[in-house]
Amino acid sequence: MIYDDEIETLPREALEALQFKRLQQTLERVYALVPFYKEAFRKANITPSDIKSLKDLHKLPFTTKDDLRDSYPYGMFSMPIDQIVRIHASSGTTGKPTVVGYSRADIEEWSQLMARSFVACGATSKDIIQNAYGYGLFTGGLGAHYGAEKLGAAVIPISGGNTKKQIMIMVDFKSTVLTATPSYAQLLADTIEEMGLLDKINLRVGVFGAEPWSENMRQKLEEKLRINAMDIYGLSEIMGPGVAIECEAKEGLHIWEDAFIPEIIDPDTQEPLEDGQEGELVITTIKKQAMPLIRYRTKDITKIIKEPCKCGRTHRRIQKILGRSDDMIIIRGVNVFPSQIESVLMEIEGLAPHYQLIVDRINNLDTLEVQVEVDSKIFSDEIRKLQGLQNQIQKDIKDILGITTKVTLVETRTLERSEGKAKRVIDKRKI
Amino acid sequence: MKRIKQISIFVENKPGRLLDVVEVLGNSNIDIKAISLADSSDFGIVRLICENPESAYEVINNSGFTASLTEVLAIAISDKPGSLAKVLRALKESDVNIEYMYGFSAKTKDHAVMIIKVSNLEETIKCCISNNVQVLSENDISSIV
Repeated sequence: MIYDDEIETLPREALEALQFKRLQQTLERVYALVPFYKEAFRKANITPSDIKSLKDLHKLPFTTKDDLRDSYPYGMFSMPIDQIVRIHASSGTTGKPTVVGYSRADIEEWSQLMARSFVACGATSKDIIQNAYGYGLFTGGLGAHYGAEKLGAAVIPISGGNTKKQIMIMVDFKSTVLTATPSYAQLLADTIEEMGLLDKINLRVGVFGAEPWSENMRQKLEEKLRINAMDIYGLSEIMGPGVAIECEAKEGLHIWEDAFIPEIIDPDTQEPLEDGQEGELVITTIKKQAMPLIRYRTKDITKIIKEPCKCGRTHRRIQKILGRSDDMIIIRGVNVFPSQIESVLMEIEGLAPHYQLIVDRINNLDTLEVQVEVDSKIFSDEIRKLQGLQNQIQKDIKDILGITTKVTLVETRTLERSEGKAKRVIDKRKI
Repeated sequence: MKRIKQISIFVENKPGRLLDVVEVLGNSNIDIKAISLADSSDFGIVRLICENPESAYEVINNSGFTASLTEVLAIAISDKPGSLAKVLRALKESDVNIEYMYGFSAKTKDHAVMIIKVSNLEETIKCCISNNVQVLSENDISSIV
Protein backbone atom coordinates (compact mmCIF):
# COMPACT_ATOMS: atom_id res chain seq x y z
CA MET A 1 0.00 0.00 0.00
CA ILE A 2 1.14 3.51 -0.79
CA TYR A 3 -0.14 6.58 1.07
CA ASP A 4 0.62 9.29 -1.48
CA ASP A 5 0.82 7.50 -4.80
CA GLU A 6 1.63 10.54 -6.91
CA ILE A 7 4.62 11.78 -4.96
CA GLU A 8 5.97 8.41 -3.76
CA THR A 9 6.16 6.99 -7.28
CA LEU A 10 7.09 10.23 -9.08
CA PRO A 11 9.48 9.44 -11.98
CA ARG A 12 13.11 10.22 -11.12
CA GLU A 13 13.50 13.17 -13.51
CA ALA A 14 10.42 14.88 -12.15
CA LEU A 15 11.50 14.12 -8.58
CA GLU A 16 14.96 15.54 -9.18
CA ALA A 17 13.52 18.63 -10.83
CA LEU A 18 11.30 19.10 -7.78
CA GLN A 19 14.31 18.62 -5.52
CA PHE A 20 16.33 21.24 -7.35
CA LYS A 21 13.50 23.78 -7.26
CA ARG A 22 13.06 23.24 -3.53
CA LEU A 23 16.81 23.31 -2.92
CA GLN A 24 17.04 26.71 -4.58
CA GLN A 25 14.17 28.04 -2.50
CA THR A 26 15.80 26.69 0.66
CA LEU A 27 19.18 28.20 -0.15
CA GLU A 28 17.64 31.61 -0.83
CA ARG A 29 15.78 31.34 2.42
CA VAL A 30 18.68 30.47 4.70
CA TYR A 31 21.03 32.90 2.94
CA ALA A 32 18.61 35.73 3.55
CA LEU A 33 17.33 34.81 6.98
CA VAL A 34 19.94 32.79 8.92
CA PRO A 35 23.14 34.74 9.73
CA PHE A 36 24.99 31.46 10.33
CA TYR A 37 24.46 30.40 6.71
CA LYS A 38 25.15 33.84 5.25
CA GLU A 39 28.53 33.70 7.00
CA ALA A 40 29.17 30.05 6.11
CA PHE A 41 28.40 30.69 2.42
CA ARG A 42 30.63 33.77 2.44
CA LYS A 43 33.50 31.73 3.90
CA ALA A 44 32.97 29.08 1.20
CA ASN A 45 32.89 31.90 -1.34
CA ILE A 46 29.53 30.83 -2.70
CA THR A 47 26.04 32.26 -3.11
CA PRO A 48 22.77 30.44 -3.77
CA SER A 49 22.88 31.38 -7.46
CA ASP A 50 26.14 29.44 -7.88
CA ILE A 51 24.22 26.22 -7.37
CA LYS A 52 23.00 25.45 -10.88
CA SER A 53 22.01 21.81 -10.51
CA LEU A 54 21.83 19.07 -7.90
CA LYS A 55 25.37 18.13 -8.89
CA ASP A 56 26.62 21.39 -7.37
CA LEU A 57 25.35 20.38 -3.92
CA HIS A 58 28.79 19.29 -2.78
CA LYS A 59 30.07 22.85 -3.16
CA LEU A 60 27.98 23.93 -0.18
CA PRO A 61 29.42 23.95 3.33
CA PHE A 62 28.44 21.31 5.88
CA THR A 63 26.38 21.87 9.00
CA THR A 64 27.41 19.95 12.12
CA LYS A 65 25.94 19.25 15.50
CA ASP A 66 28.48 21.66 16.97
CA ASP A 67 27.09 24.41 14.74
CA LEU A 68 23.67 23.73 16.21
CA ARG A 69 25.07 23.82 19.74
CA ASP A 70 26.88 27.08 19.04
CA SER A 71 23.65 28.67 17.88
CA TYR A 72 21.75 27.55 21.00
CA PRO A 73 18.87 28.00 21.38
CA TYR A 74 17.29 29.79 18.39
CA GLY A 75 20.21 30.81 16.20
CA MET A 76 19.38 28.43 13.33
CA PHE A 77 15.72 29.42 13.07
CA SER A 78 14.74 31.18 9.87
CA MET A 79 11.50 32.43 11.36
CA PRO A 80 10.56 34.70 14.23
CA ILE A 81 9.42 32.83 17.32
CA ASP A 82 5.77 33.90 16.89
CA GLN A 83 5.56 31.68 13.80
CA ILE A 84 7.05 28.68 15.60
CA VAL A 85 4.47 26.25 16.94
CA ARG A 86 6.69 23.52 18.42
CA ILE A 87 10.19 23.23 19.86
CA HIS A 88 12.00 19.93 20.35
CA ALA A 89 15.50 19.32 21.65
CA SER A 90 17.82 16.37 21.55
CA SER A 91 19.28 15.09 24.75
CA GLY A 92 22.82 16.35 24.89
CA THR A 93 24.99 14.18 27.09
CA THR A 94 27.71 16.76 26.74
CA GLY A 95 26.85 20.41 27.10
CA LYS A 96 23.77 22.08 25.70
CA PRO A 97 21.05 20.21 23.81
CA THR A 98 20.41 20.91 20.15
CA VAL A 99 17.17 22.75 19.57
CA VAL A 100 14.78 22.32 16.63
CA GLY A 101 11.83 24.57 15.80
CA TYR A 102 8.80 23.80 13.63
CA SER A 103 6.28 26.04 11.91
CA ARG A 104 2.69 24.93 11.50
CA ALA A 105 3.47 23.85 7.93
CA ASP A 106 6.50 21.88 9.19
CA ILE A 107 4.34 19.93 11.63
CA GLU A 108 1.84 19.20 8.86
CA GLU A 109 4.64 18.04 6.54
CA TRP A 110 6.17 15.85 9.28
CA SER A 111 2.77 14.28 9.98
CA GLN A 112 2.35 13.54 6.27
CA LEU A 113 5.78 11.91 6.03
CA MET A 114 5.09 9.84 9.16
CA ALA A 115 1.70 8.77 7.77
CA ARG A 116 3.44 7.71 4.53
CA SER A 117 5.96 5.83 6.62
CA PHE A 118 3.31 3.98 8.60
CA VAL A 119 1.59 2.90 5.38
CA ALA A 120 4.91 1.74 3.90
CA CYS A 121 5.26 -0.46 7.01
CA GLY A 122 1.86 -1.99 6.36
CA ALA A 123 -0.22 0.03 8.82
CA THR A 124 -3.68 1.34 7.89
CA SER A 125 -6.30 3.65 9.34
CA LYS A 126 -7.89 0.58 10.98
CA ASP A 127 -4.86 -0.07 13.18
CA ILE A 128 -4.52 0.53 16.90
CA ILE A 129 -1.06 2.02 17.31
CA GLN A 130 0.57 1.70 20.72
CA ASN A 131 3.14 4.47 20.72
CA ALA A 132 5.87 3.54 23.19
CA TYR A 133 8.30 6.19 22.01
CA GLY A 134 8.98 8.74 24.71
CA TYR A 135 6.82 11.87 24.60
CA GLY A 136 8.58 15.09 25.40
CA LEU A 137 11.55 16.96 24.05
CA PHE A 138 12.51 13.75 22.18
CA THR A 139 10.87 13.80 18.74
CA GLY A 140 9.92 10.09 18.73
CA GLY A 141 6.70 10.24 20.73
CA LEU A 142 4.99 13.25 19.19
CA GLY A 143 6.35 12.53 15.71
CA ALA A 144 4.82 9.05 15.60
CA HIS A 145 1.69 10.33 17.34
CA TYR A 146 0.91 13.01 14.75
CA GLY A 147 1.63 10.62 11.91
CA ALA A 148 -0.68 7.98 13.37
CA GLU A 149 -3.47 10.53 13.76
CA LYS A 150 -2.89 11.85 10.23
CA LEU A 151 -3.26 8.29 8.98
CA GLY A 152 -6.51 8.00 10.90
CA ALA A 153 -5.38 5.12 13.09
CA ALA A 154 -6.28 4.93 16.79
CA VAL A 155 -3.19 6.01 18.68
CA ILE A 156 -2.47 5.04 22.28
CA PRO A 157 -0.06 7.70 23.59
CA ILE A 158 1.43 5.53 26.30
CA SER A 159 5.02 6.81 25.90
CA GLY A 160 8.02 4.73 27.01
CA GLY A 161 8.46 2.80 30.22
CA ASN A 162 6.05 1.28 32.74
CA THR A 163 6.48 -2.09 31.08
CA LYS A 164 3.85 -4.15 32.94
CA LYS A 165 1.20 -1.53 32.26
CA GLN A 166 2.25 -1.36 28.59
CA ILE A 167 1.62 -5.07 28.34
CA MET A 168 -1.72 -4.94 30.10
CA ILE A 169 -2.84 -2.24 27.67
CA MET A 170 -1.37 -4.08 24.70
CA VAL A 171 -3.46 -7.13 25.59
CA ASP A 172 -6.66 -5.37 26.68
CA PHE A 173 -6.73 -2.68 23.96
CA LYS A 174 -5.75 -5.22 21.30
CA SER A 175 -2.96 -3.02 19.93
CA THR A 176 -1.99 -4.04 16.40
CA VAL A 177 1.04 -1.80 15.82
CA LEU A 178 3.86 -1.09 18.27
CA THR A 179 6.17 1.88 17.86
CA ALA A 180 9.25 1.81 20.10
CA THR A 181 13.01 1.76 20.16
CA PRO A 182 14.19 -1.76 19.24
CA SER A 183 15.85 -2.25 22.62
CA TYR A 184 12.64 -1.38 24.40
CA ALA A 185 10.71 -3.66 22.05
CA GLN A 186 13.10 -6.43 23.10
CA LEU A 187 12.49 -5.71 26.77
CA LEU A 188 8.73 -5.74 26.12
CA ALA A 189 8.99 -9.03 24.21
CA ASP A 190 11.00 -10.68 26.99
CA THR A 191 8.59 -9.48 29.63
CA ILE A 192 5.53 -10.59 27.64
CA GLU A 193 7.14 -14.01 27.35
CA GLU A 194 7.96 -14.16 31.08
CA MET A 195 4.36 -13.28 31.87
CA GLY A 196 3.18 -16.06 29.54
CA LEU A 197 1.15 -13.63 27.42
CA LEU A 198 2.64 -14.21 23.98
CA ASP A 199 -0.64 -15.78 22.84
CA LYS A 200 -2.68 -12.87 24.14
CA ILE A 201 -1.24 -10.08 22.05
CA ASN A 202 -2.60 -8.91 18.70
CA LEU A 203 0.40 -7.08 17.29
CA ARG A 204 1.10 -7.48 13.60
CA VAL A 205 3.56 -4.66 12.88
CA GLY A 206 6.42 -3.12 14.85
CA VAL A 207 7.93 0.20 13.80
CA PHE A 208 11.29 0.40 15.49
CA GLY A 209 13.92 3.11 15.28
CA ALA A 210 16.02 5.78 16.98
CA GLU A 211 18.97 3.41 17.47
CA PRO A 212 20.83 0.99 15.20
CA TRP A 213 19.69 -2.63 15.40
CA SER A 214 20.69 -5.80 13.61
CA GLU A 215 18.95 -8.15 11.19
CA ASN A 216 19.22 -10.88 13.81
CA MET A 217 17.42 -8.76 16.32
CA ARG A 218 14.72 -8.25 13.72
CA GLN A 219 14.33 -12.00 13.32
CA LYS A 220 14.07 -12.55 17.06
CA LEU A 221 11.47 -9.82 17.47
CA GLU A 222 9.49 -11.07 14.49
CA GLU A 223 9.48 -14.66 15.71
CA LYS A 224 8.69 -13.89 19.31
CA LEU A 225 5.99 -11.27 18.76
CA ARG A 226 4.78 -12.69 15.43
CA ILE A 227 5.04 -9.30 13.73
CA ASN A 228 6.63 -7.60 10.80
CA ALA A 229 9.42 -5.61 12.43
CA MET A 230 10.15 -2.51 10.35
CA ASP A 231 13.01 -0.08 10.60
CA ILE A 232 12.31 3.64 10.71
CA TYR A 233 14.98 6.29 10.47
CA GLY A 234 15.02 9.87 11.58
CA LEU A 235 16.85 12.38 13.65
CA SER A 236 15.53 15.40 15.46
CA GLU A 237 17.88 17.87 13.80
CA ILE A 238 16.42 16.98 10.41
CA MET A 239 12.82 16.49 11.57
CA GLY A 240 12.36 13.44 13.77
CA PRO A 241 11.16 9.93 12.89
CA GLY A 242 9.95 9.43 9.33
CA VAL A 243 12.96 10.70 7.36
CA ALA A 244 13.34 7.21 5.87
CA ILE A 245 11.35 4.02 6.19
CA GLU A 246 11.40 0.40 5.17
CA CYS A 247 8.74 -0.88 2.83
CA GLU A 248 7.46 -4.46 2.74
CA ALA A 249 10.53 -5.51 0.70
CA LYS A 250 12.72 -4.87 3.78
CA GLU A 251 15.69 -4.13 1.56
CA GLY A 252 16.69 -0.71 2.74
CA LEU A 253 14.84 2.38 3.85
CA HIS A 254 13.27 4.82 1.37
CA ILE A 255 14.37 8.33 2.18
CA TRP A 256 11.63 10.80 1.34
CA GLU A 257 13.42 12.64 -1.41
CA ASP A 258 10.73 15.25 -2.00
CA ALA A 259 11.70 16.62 1.43
CA PHE A 260 15.35 15.62 1.85
CA ILE A 261 18.42 15.26 -0.33
CA PRO A 262 20.72 12.49 0.89
CA GLU A 263 24.45 12.25 0.17
CA ILE A 264 27.13 9.87 1.37
CA ILE A 265 30.55 11.25 2.20
CA ASP A 266 33.81 9.82 3.42
CA PRO A 267 33.75 10.93 7.07
CA ASP A 268 37.51 11.49 7.12
CA THR A 269 38.14 13.31 3.83
CA GLN A 270 34.59 14.73 3.64
CA GLU A 271 34.57 13.96 -0.09
CA PRO A 272 31.28 12.80 -1.62
CA LEU A 273 31.04 9.07 -2.41
CA GLU A 274 29.16 7.31 -5.20
CA ASP A 275 25.83 5.59 -4.60
CA GLY A 276 26.54 2.11 -3.26
CA GLN A 277 29.62 3.15 -1.30
CA GLU A 278 29.52 3.09 2.47
CA GLY A 279 30.09 6.30 4.37
CA GLU A 280 28.46 8.99 6.46
CA LEU A 281 24.94 10.10 5.57
CA VAL A 282 24.57 13.84 4.93
CA ILE A 283 21.09 15.33 4.56
CA THR A 284 19.85 18.63 3.17
CA THR A 285 16.28 19.55 4.04
CA ILE A 286 14.42 21.13 1.13
CA LYS A 287 10.92 21.57 2.47
CA LYS A 288 11.37 22.75 6.02
CA GLN A 289 10.48 26.32 6.87
CA ALA A 290 11.46 27.02 10.45
CA MET A 291 14.86 25.43 10.50
CA PRO A 292 16.21 24.19 7.19
CA LEU A 293 19.63 22.54 7.36
CA ILE A 294 22.15 22.43 4.55
CA ARG A 295 24.33 19.30 4.25
CA TYR A 296 23.82 18.23 7.84
CA ARG A 297 26.32 15.57 8.92
CA THR A 298 24.27 12.85 10.59
CA LYS A 299 27.25 10.72 11.73
CA ASP A 300 25.21 7.68 10.68
CA ILE A 301 27.04 5.13 8.55
CA THR A 302 25.14 3.69 5.60
CA LYS A 303 25.08 3.63 1.80
CA ILE A 304 22.60 4.75 -0.83
CA ILE A 305 20.84 2.06 -2.87
CA LYS A 306 19.83 3.61 -6.19
CA GLU A 307 18.39 0.50 -7.84
CA PRO A 308 14.58 0.61 -8.19
CA CYS A 309 12.66 -1.07 -5.37
CA LYS A 310 10.08 -3.75 -6.06
CA CYS A 311 7.49 -1.77 -4.06
CA GLY A 312 7.29 0.80 -6.85
CA ARG A 313 8.44 3.82 -4.86
CA THR A 314 10.99 5.88 -6.77
CA HIS A 315 12.64 7.45 -3.73
CA ARG A 316 16.11 5.98 -3.25
CA ARG A 317 16.89 3.81 -0.27
CA ILE A 318 19.56 3.88 2.39
CA GLN A 319 20.85 0.64 3.82
CA LYS A 320 19.84 -0.23 7.39
CA ILE A 321 22.09 1.96 9.52
CA LEU A 322 25.21 0.07 10.52
CA GLY A 323 26.07 2.39 13.35
CA ARG A 324 27.10 5.90 14.14
CA SER A 325 30.54 7.14 13.38
CA ASP A 326 30.61 8.47 16.94
CA ASP A 327 29.55 5.29 18.75
CA MET A 328 31.78 3.24 16.58
CA ILE A 329 34.39 1.76 18.86
CA ILE A 330 37.93 1.53 17.59
CA ILE A 331 39.61 -1.41 19.29
CA ARG A 332 43.27 -1.68 18.45
CA GLY A 333 42.59 -0.09 15.09
CA VAL A 334 39.57 -2.23 14.23
CA ASN A 335 36.24 -0.44 13.79
CA VAL A 336 33.46 -2.15 15.69
CA PHE A 337 29.81 -1.21 15.96
CA PRO A 338 27.76 -2.49 18.88
CA SER A 339 25.23 -3.79 16.33
CA GLN A 340 27.89 -6.15 14.93
CA ILE A 341 28.55 -7.68 18.35
CA GLU A 342 24.81 -7.93 18.86
CA SER A 343 24.49 -9.75 15.58
CA VAL A 344 27.09 -12.32 16.64
CA LEU A 345 25.37 -12.88 19.99
CA MET A 346 22.01 -13.35 18.32
CA GLU A 347 23.44 -16.06 16.08
CA ILE A 348 24.18 -18.25 19.08
CA GLU A 349 21.42 -20.74 19.76
CA GLY A 350 19.21 -19.83 22.67
CA LEU A 351 20.91 -16.53 23.26
CA ALA A 352 18.68 -13.44 23.20
CA PRO A 353 20.95 -11.55 25.41
CA HIS A 354 21.04 -8.31 27.20
CA TYR A 355 24.60 -7.24 26.75
CA GLN A 356 26.94 -4.37 27.38
CA LEU A 357 30.34 -3.54 25.98
CA ILE A 358 33.03 -2.21 28.28
CA VAL A 359 35.97 -0.60 26.53
CA ASP A 360 39.10 0.11 28.52
CA ARG A 361 42.79 0.69 27.99
CA ILE A 362 45.08 -1.41 30.13
CA ASN A 363 48.85 -1.02 29.77
CA ASN A 364 48.32 1.01 26.61
CA LEU A 365 46.29 -1.78 25.05
CA ASP A 366 42.61 -1.41 24.23
CA THR A 367 40.41 -4.08 25.78
CA LEU A 368 36.84 -4.96 24.98
CA GLU A 369 34.77 -6.81 27.50
CA VAL A 370 31.42 -8.20 26.45
CA GLN A 371 29.11 -8.67 29.41
CA VAL A 372 26.26 -11.05 28.76
CA GLU A 373 23.43 -11.73 31.15
CA VAL A 374 22.76 -15.35 32.03
CA ASP A 375 19.05 -16.03 31.87
CA SER A 376 17.24 -19.27 32.60
CA LYS A 377 17.45 -20.34 28.94
CA ILE A 378 21.23 -20.47 28.84
CA PHE A 379 21.95 -21.28 32.46
CA SER A 380 23.44 -24.66 33.14
CA ASP A 381 24.45 -25.95 36.54
CA GLU A 382 27.66 -27.27 35.05
CA ILE A 383 30.53 -24.82 35.01
CA ARG A 384 32.05 -26.29 31.89
CA LYS A 385 28.90 -25.68 29.84
CA LEU A 386 28.83 -22.03 30.84
CA GLN A 387 32.53 -21.73 30.12
CA GLY A 388 31.89 -23.39 26.80
CA LEU A 389 29.34 -20.67 26.06
CA GLN A 390 31.87 -17.99 27.02
CA ASN A 391 34.44 -19.54 24.73
CA GLN A 392 31.98 -19.84 21.87
CA ILE A 393 30.99 -16.17 22.10
CA GLN A 394 34.65 -15.20 22.24
CA LYS A 395 35.50 -17.38 19.26
CA ASP A 396 32.56 -16.21 17.15
CA ILE A 397 33.44 -12.56 17.73
CA LYS A 398 37.05 -13.32 16.88
CA ASP A 399 36.07 -15.21 13.73
CA ILE A 400 33.60 -12.68 12.46
CA LEU A 401 35.00 -9.34 13.64
CA GLY A 402 38.64 -10.26 14.11
CA ILE A 403 38.96 -8.88 17.60
CA THR A 404 39.82 -10.56 20.86
CA THR A 405 37.36 -9.93 23.64
CA LYS A 406 36.87 -10.96 27.21
CA VAL A 407 33.42 -12.41 27.67
CA THR A 408 31.93 -12.13 31.13
CA LEU A 409 28.74 -13.80 32.22
CA VAL A 410 26.77 -11.64 34.62
CA GLU A 411 23.63 -12.16 36.64
CA THR A 412 20.34 -11.47 34.99
CA ARG A 413 18.93 -7.95 35.32
CA THR A 414 22.23 -6.47 36.40
CA LEU A 415 22.75 -4.56 33.15
CA GLU A 416 20.84 -1.35 32.81
CA ARG A 417 17.45 -1.90 31.16
CA SER A 418 16.55 0.69 28.64
CA GLU A 419 13.15 2.24 28.36
CA GLY A 420 14.53 4.67 25.83
CA LYS A 421 17.77 4.29 23.94
CA ALA A 422 19.92 1.41 25.14
CA LYS A 423 23.29 2.22 26.57
CA ARG A 424 25.37 -0.49 24.96
CA VAL A 425 28.87 0.88 25.34
CA ILE A 426 30.78 2.09 28.35
CA ASP A 427 34.12 3.53 27.30
CA LYS A 428 36.46 3.86 30.24
CA ARG A 429 39.46 4.85 28.15
CA LYS A 430 41.04 8.13 29.02
CA ILE A 431 42.53 9.32 25.78
CA MET B 1 11.55 -41.58 43.93
CA LYS B 2 15.24 -42.03 44.32
CA ARG B 3 16.17 -38.83 42.52
CA ILE B 4 16.36 -35.67 44.52
CA LYS B 5 16.14 -32.09 43.38
CA GLN B 6 19.03 -29.75 43.82
CA ILE B 7 18.77 -25.99 43.36
CA SER B 8 21.56 -24.51 41.25
CA ILE B 9 22.03 -20.75 41.32
CA PHE B 10 24.16 -18.51 39.11
CA VAL B 11 26.14 -15.95 41.11
CA GLU B 12 28.73 -13.43 40.07
CA ASN B 13 32.07 -13.84 41.73
CA LYS B 14 31.95 -10.85 44.04
CA PRO B 15 31.82 -10.30 47.78
CA GLY B 16 28.48 -10.89 49.46
CA ARG B 17 26.65 -12.76 46.71
CA LEU B 18 26.69 -16.09 48.52
CA LEU B 19 25.46 -14.27 51.60
CA ASP B 20 22.59 -12.83 49.53
CA VAL B 21 21.53 -16.33 48.49
CA VAL B 22 21.53 -17.82 51.97
CA GLU B 23 19.84 -14.76 53.43
CA VAL B 24 16.98 -15.06 50.98
CA LEU B 25 16.52 -18.69 52.07
CA GLY B 26 16.96 -17.90 55.76
CA ASN B 27 14.35 -15.16 55.59
CA SER B 28 11.90 -17.66 54.12
CA ASN B 29 12.73 -20.14 56.87
CA ILE B 30 14.25 -22.66 54.51
CA ASP B 31 16.74 -25.05 56.05
CA ILE B 32 19.76 -25.81 53.90
CA LYS B 33 20.75 -29.47 54.18
CA ALA B 34 23.85 -29.32 52.02
CA ILE B 35 25.56 -26.62 49.99
CA SER B 36 28.53 -26.35 47.67
CA LEU B 37 30.01 -23.55 45.64
CA ALA B 38 31.73 -24.19 42.34
CA ASP B 39 33.62 -21.29 40.90
CA SER B 40 35.27 -20.08 37.72
CA SER B 41 37.20 -16.84 37.42
CA ASP B 42 34.20 -14.55 37.26
CA PHE B 43 31.14 -16.51 38.24
CA GLY B 44 30.12 -19.36 40.45
CA ILE B 45 27.31 -21.84 40.82
CA VAL B 46 25.80 -22.41 44.22
CA ARG B 47 24.32 -25.88 44.53
CA LEU B 48 22.19 -26.74 47.48
CA ILE B 49 19.86 -29.34 48.87
CA CYS B 50 16.99 -28.36 51.10
CA GLU B 51 13.55 -29.55 52.09
CA ASN B 52 10.78 -28.69 49.67
CA PRO B 53 13.05 -27.67 46.78
CA GLU B 54 10.18 -26.41 44.58
CA SER B 55 9.18 -23.70 46.98
CA ALA B 56 12.80 -22.81 47.70
CA TYR B 57 13.32 -22.48 43.94
CA GLU B 58 10.34 -20.11 43.76
CA VAL B 59 11.83 -17.97 46.50
CA ILE B 60 15.23 -17.84 44.81
CA ASN B 61 13.77 -17.12 41.39
CA ASN B 62 11.52 -14.36 42.68
CA SER B 63 14.53 -12.73 44.29
CA GLY B 64 15.99 -12.13 40.84
CA PHE B 65 18.50 -14.96 40.67
CA THR B 66 18.88 -17.20 37.65
CA ALA B 67 18.46 -20.72 38.98
CA SER B 68 17.42 -24.19 37.96
CA LEU B 69 16.22 -27.39 39.57
CA THR B 70 18.59 -30.23 38.75
CA GLU B 71 18.08 -33.90 39.42
CA VAL B 72 20.93 -35.45 41.36
CA LEU B 73 21.43 -38.57 43.45
CA ALA B 74 22.16 -38.76 47.14
CA ILE B 75 23.94 -41.91 48.20
CA ALA B 76 24.70 -43.06 51.71
CA ILE B 77 28.07 -44.59 52.31
CA SER B 78 29.48 -45.96 55.49
CA ASP B 79 31.79 -43.54 57.23
CA LYS B 80 34.99 -45.49 57.06
CA PRO B 81 38.13 -45.51 54.88
CA GLY B 82 37.74 -46.97 51.40
CA SER B 83 33.98 -46.90 51.17
CA LEU B 84 33.78 -44.02 48.69
CA ALA B 85 36.36 -45.75 46.51
CA LYS B 86 34.18 -48.85 46.49
CA VAL B 87 31.20 -46.92 45.21
CA LEU B 88 33.19 -45.06 42.59
CA ARG B 89 34.73 -48.28 41.36
CA ALA B 90 31.28 -49.72 40.80
CA LEU B 91 30.22 -46.61 38.91
CA LYS B 92 33.33 -46.69 36.80
CA GLU B 93 32.65 -50.28 35.86
CA SER B 94 29.20 -49.23 34.68
CA ASP B 95 30.81 -46.44 32.69
CA VAL B 96 29.04 -43.70 34.63
CA ASN B 97 30.66 -40.30 34.46
CA ILE B 98 30.41 -38.03 37.50
CA GLU B 99 29.94 -34.36 36.60
CA TYR B 100 30.41 -33.18 40.16
CA MET B 101 30.09 -34.39 43.73
CA TYR B 102 29.94 -32.98 47.21
CA GLY B 103 29.36 -34.54 50.56
CA PHE B 104 27.95 -33.92 53.99
CA SER B 105 27.81 -35.97 57.11
CA ALA B 106 24.61 -37.39 58.47
CA LYS B 107 23.31 -37.18 62.04
CA THR B 108 24.01 -40.81 62.57
CA LYS B 109 27.74 -41.18 63.05
CA ASP B 110 28.23 -44.18 60.83
CA HIS B 111 27.11 -42.69 57.50
CA ALA B 112 28.13 -39.93 55.14
CA VAL B 113 25.96 -38.65 52.30
CA MET B 114 27.36 -37.85 48.89
CA ILE B 115 25.46 -35.78 46.33
CA ILE B 116 26.42 -36.74 42.80
CA LYS B 117 25.45 -35.40 39.40
CA VAL B 118 25.98 -38.08 36.80
CA SER B 119 25.66 -38.48 33.08
CA ASN B 120 23.09 -41.24 33.33
CA LEU B 121 20.73 -41.29 36.30
CA GLU B 122 18.91 -44.55 35.59
CA GLU B 123 22.07 -46.48 34.96
CA THR B 124 23.60 -45.10 38.15
CA ILE B 125 20.61 -46.04 40.29
CA LYS B 126 20.67 -49.58 38.90
CA CYS B 127 24.37 -49.83 39.50
CA CYS B 128 24.03 -48.61 43.10
CA ILE B 129 21.25 -51.05 43.86
CA SER B 130 23.10 -54.01 42.46
CA ASN B 131 26.16 -53.06 44.50
CA ASN B 132 24.21 -52.54 47.72
CA VAL B 133 24.81 -48.80 47.78
CA GLN B 134 21.92 -47.01 49.44
CA VAL B 135 20.32 -44.30 47.27
CA LEU B 136 18.37 -41.83 49.37
CA SER B 137 15.00 -40.28 48.61
CA GLU B 138 13.99 -36.77 49.64
CA ASN B 139 12.22 -38.23 52.69
CA ASP B 140 15.33 -40.17 53.66
CA ILE B 141 17.35 -36.98 53.51
CA SER B 142 14.91 -35.11 55.74
CA SER B 143 15.08 -37.83 58.36
CA ILE B 144 18.79 -38.50 58.49
CA VAL B 145 20.34 -35.08 57.96
